[in-house]
Amino acid sequence: MGVFYHIDKSTVLQEARVFNESPIVPRKCRLLLTKIIYLLYLGEPMATNEATELFFSVTKLFQSKDIALRQMVYLVIKELSTIAEDVIMVTSSLMKDMQPKSEVIYRANAIRALCKIIDATMLPSVERFLKAAIVDKTPSISSAAMVSSYHLFPAGKDVIKRWANEVHEAINSKPTSLVGTASSYLSFTSSGSSYNTPSTSNISQYHALGLLYMIRQHDRMAVTKLIQQLAGSSRGTFGSSSGTLRNPFAYCLLIRYAAKTLDEDPNSRQQMFELLEGWLRHKSDIVNFEAAKAICNIKDVTSKELHPAVNVLQLFLSSPKSTLRFAAIRTLNKLAMSHPTAVQPCNFDMENLITDQNRSVATFAITTLLKTGNEASVDRLMKQITGFMSEISDEFKVIVVDAIRSLCLKFPTKQVVMLGFLSGVLRDEGGYEFKRAVVEAIFDLVKFIPESKEAALAHLCEFIEDCEFTKLSVRVLHLLGVEGPKTATPTKFIRYIYNRVILENSIVRAAAVSALAKFGVSAEDSEVRKSIKVLLTRCLDDNDDEVRDRATLYLKLMDDEESAEKYVKDDSTYSLAALERQLVQYVSNQEASEKPFDLSAVPKITKAQAEAENLKSRSFDLVSTQTIGISSSAVASTSAAAIPTSRDATPTPGIDQQVVYAHQLEKIPEIAAFGSLFKSSVKPVELTESETEYVVSCVKHMFDEHIVFQFIVNNTLNDQLLENVTIVMQAESDDGSLVEEFVIPAPNLPYDQPGSIYVAFKRTNPEDYTPCCFSNTLKFLVKDCDPSTGEADGEGYEDEYLVEDIEIVTGDHILPTYINDFQNAWDSMGEEGQVIETFALTAAKSLKDACTTLIDLLGMGPVENSGTPTSPSLHTLMLSGTFLGNIKVLAKSRMTYSPSSGVTMELSVRSSSEEISRQKGSSRYICLFKVSKSGTFAALASVFAKLFTDSRTFVVVQYLCNTIGNETIFNCEGLLNEIKEDQNRIMKFIRICCFGSIFICNALMWTFFTKALNKSSSSLQVTVLNSATNFCMTAVLGNIIFGETLSLQWWFGASLIVIGTLLINKSIHDRKDRMKNKDKRQ
Amino acid sequence: MNKDGTRAYSGWFAEQCEDMIPTVGFNMRKVTKGNVTMKLWDIGGQPRFRSMWERYCRGVNAIVFVIDSADHEKLEAARTELRSLLEKPQLANIPVLVLGNKNDLDGALTVERIIEEMNLKTINNREVSCYSISAKNQVNIDITLQWLIKKEAFKMVAQRWKDSAENPKNQTQK
Repeated sequence: MGVFYHIDKSTVLQEARVFNESPIVPRKCRLLLTKIIYLLYLGEPMATNEATELFFSVTKLFQSKDIALRQMVYLVIKELSTIAEDVIMVTSSLMKDMQPKSEVIYRANAIRALCKIIDATMLPSVERFLKAAIVDKTPSISSAAMVSSYHLFPAGKDVIKRWANEVHEAINSKPTSLVGTASSYLSFTSSGSSYNTPSTSNISQYHALGLLYMIRQHDRMAVTKLIQQLAGSSRGTFGSSSGTLRNPFAYCLLIRYAAKTLDEDPNSRQQMFELLEGWLRHKSDIVNFEAAKAICNIKDVTSKELHPAVNVLQLFLSSPKSTLRFAAIRTLNKLAMSHPTAVQPCNFDMENLITDQNRSVATFAITTLLKTGNEASVDRLMKQITGFMSEISDEFKVIVVDAIRSLCLKFPTKQVVMLGFLSGVLRDEGGYEFKRAVVEAIFDLVKFIPESKEAALAHLCEFIEDCEFTKLSVRVLHLLGVEGPKTATPTKFIRYIYNRVILENSIVRAAAVSALAKFGVSAEDSEVRKSIKVLLTRCLDDNDDEVRDRATLYLKLMDDEESAEKYVKDDSTYSLAALERQLVQYVSNQEASEKPFDLSAVPKITKAQAEAENLKSRSFDLVSTQTIGISSSAVASTSAAAIPTSRDATPTPGIDQQVVYAHQLEKIPEIAAFGSLFKSSVKPVELTESETEYVVSCVKHMFDEHIVFQFIVNNTLNDQLLENVTIVMQAESDDGSLVEEFVIPAPNLPYDQPGSIYVAFKRTNPEDYTPCCFSNTLKFLVKDCDPSTGEADGEGYEDEYLVEDIEIVTGDHILPTYINDFQNAWDSMGEEGQVIETFALTAAKSLKDACTTLIDLLGMGPVENSGTPTSPSLHTLMLSGTFLGNIKVLAKSRMTYSPSSGVTMELSVRSSSEEISRQKGSSRYICLFKVSKSGTFAALASVFAKLFTDSRTFVVVQYLCNTIGNETIFNCEGLLNEIKEDQNRIMKFIRICCFGSIFICNALMWTFFTKALNKSSSSLQVTVLNSATNFCMTAVLGNIIFGETLSLQWWFGASLIVIGTLLINKSIHDRKDRMKNKDKRQ
Repeated sequence: MNKDGTRAYSGWFAEQCEDMIPTVGFNMRKVTKGNVTMKLWDIGGQPRFRSMWERYCRGVNAIVFVIDSADHEKLEAARTELRSLLEKPQLANIPVLVLGNKNDLDGALTVERIIEEMNLKTINNREVSCYSISAKNQVNIDITLQWLIKKEAFKMVAQRWKDSAENPKNQTQK
């Protein structure tokens, strides 16, 4: 490498004159080109004019026929293509080289260089050649063309999409005979040796598959078909080479696509999973690993599904190849975070890996063991970790520390060992990320394990004595300020903190002053207060403004108990997202800015809640740190994908989304007039299947007196333009409580550009929050249009499209809130507004299930971590929310669970308004009441019908008279006598009454029946229940009124009916429950 | 414009190029006539490439400027482009051959008209020749080749180059 020693850019540029010499000396030129590439590789910056000059000299070399020189020319062109100007100059020359008549070695390389220098506008002119190259028999040319197309795809989607057939052909093409030319992409033919290996690799299949997927990625059906085709044809032929795909990398790619499909399309899950499982038995290691990894990464994977994958990984753990071991242990490590039990079978193999020479493998082995191991093995593992902590890099140290952090929380009794370890590593050398991880681990200990607090704080104090990171010092000081005063001997921390005031930079000094002040405010002992005052007074002489300001402020506060309470000890903070939004609004609105900003309008959240949010974001960090140092795109993409999904799962996800909605709505003047937005439904409700021609979803926005439905419509037909799209909403039970105010239609909806339609309703009675249901029809004007240009032609015609119903439920009126002390608030609410009911949730499979169902239904937020049950059989869920109109609602639900009967719960709701409590309790069961009522009325109707007939009327009137009472007995006697005497007159009157009652009862029956049908999700349930009630009531009334006796058979039959009804209801519930969480039965 | 250039040079190879596409950038070809080998650089004539003509004209033995003699509208542009090219100090004294292609078409300019329209008479610091050719019908192609070879022969004698058969360079330009 002597030639490359001391290469200097200016010398090389000088020497570039040899390119212009005539005749060309290939050897000299080649060497110089190599030097240029070497320089570029070293990152030597090259100015545009230098590069351009060089580029044009290099193009002169096209006159030489020397093959090796030409290859170097291609390489240099590729390298310079991004720096030099006018690189397009070589287009024709390259195109000449890629013609079928030129040599293979030129063709492949020319194609690759060409794609670097052309842009989308040139693509059509080379389309013909590239298409031909894709189906070329020589793999190197075909590969080059496909890889080039892959890179050009973002720029020239439309052109490249037309090549799908060629690419498909390339995947399916049989390998050509293995001789010679196939390998020549890299060969130096002068050597004459044959490179057979590249040609047998079939790597072009990998390129073809990648490109084909790129072309079809937005067409889910096509992707599924592609996967099936390629997987299906090779199924059962593992081991033989007769399958379509012969390249293991192509299989890996296929596995990734299959995993992605599985992730996005739940319907394909079973099928895709079977494919993945099949690939676990492929002959190639890399395919097995990829399949195992894909299975481990499935979002809701079950332990049964994991089993085969973990088996494969376990085999790899004892493989002699360290790459395989590393890959396997890394995957298991990640899996252990979510499914520790699934990884446990590998514990033995992992223990062997602790002593692996490869430190990365060993680190992963230990951290995985920490997650899966039991308490007994912790001590031993910790000792081993301490042993090699100094040998590994910071990234791995962070992984180890994070593993230990989660271990501390898992085994609180081991905290002494852990804390010892953490404080030990804290003393070691290390970068910021590492120290931060350690400090955060100790913070967690302080927060979650009270016994460790004193010791942990002491270690932190020691740490800040010699801490080079200002950020960490500030955080530690803050924690000391918060936690220190609560410890038994707060005074011992004060010395450490004051040392900071003397020794550190101004930022740390300011933080130290704040921490000191917290001690001062909280201290019981007046001596301590006095000394703190002395210390703070000294700080008044500090040369930094901030430090002096803080000291002055706190000195004042210490004298003023009340403000100290308010400012120093305050436990709540503002919801930052909401604060930001309101401030932006305030600043942008001219009118509003004349008045002072109203801070009280910003919702307050407690610090605990804010911390919970932080904790969540930190757990994402934890996941992403796992990927450090491994540049696998799949891992990166899964962790990126994991973030949005887990954000959906947070209990208060509404805040961000709500801000967006509020912003959108403010722009519409009509809606802005409704006042401030109370709540928007968290997730849009899908009103159509996602594959239909028009995809409609709906978001409900609640205002003080209005409801706005925002329908988001997406037109998925590329040859249609929709105009004047509007929604007709019809309330199912039109009782006048909601009056439609206006509809804002979407003026036009081109292909694939979602538009919104707003429908606003006004609540006539603001106190009425009855749940109701709307049927919706989309109406629009269809115009055909040209798919490519999107221009509409012709008149168009009216059309409509029925979408699913939408419901307003109680949960829509409630905003989840967070309160700190539930018990206190609950007691202060008092018994007056309390409603208690008991429900059996037969369909809920666990308490967790029941909790999420209830939270969803009521739209309230769980407090004090009660959202996740800790015991499997008994749990108390506490919910809090704000009802429309700022009425506070609290709900407490005690539940028990047994496998046989499901979940039984007692829901008690308290609120400042009785009406709401009642409604919350009953809204969901109203339909059942109505059914029973309709049944009863049906029975009454038949009673009256019977009364209408002659014979019994008299008996009943007599009976009624008897029951009315003794004091009126004489009158009754008289009446009866009268009836006997003049049957015609009074009997006629009674009969007419009865006749009327038949109609009234029937009318009532139908009213309730239809209402119940509306409310219920199943018409069968309603009908059956109606008949059963009717039947039973008839029997009971018959017995009471007409004195009919009932036989044993009757009782038997009746009980069969009742049991049958229950069975029908239960089966409906079970079935429905899987889809919706809607059924609860009283 | 540049189709003509490429076609003309194809003419020297006696090739049939039915579906010529415009030269994007440049192309390099070698021509052997008798015992003389010429290297021809065919450079695109579209406006975006005109600024780069000069780079490829440095140090060549002759510049061939091919125009479409049937396209009267582009004549003006051709004149100015040729002028600005020849004004470059680097290209001083290099002989220029102007070819009016497509003389088979109706309304094509005659040689005299081309000389007049292109103001060739005013170029006096170098040797300038002009022919009217038809690449399609192979008219006058041989004469132009002879002209180029003569230029070479002259130079070779003058400079006593040893490797006579190898290196005359040639520039096709529109």
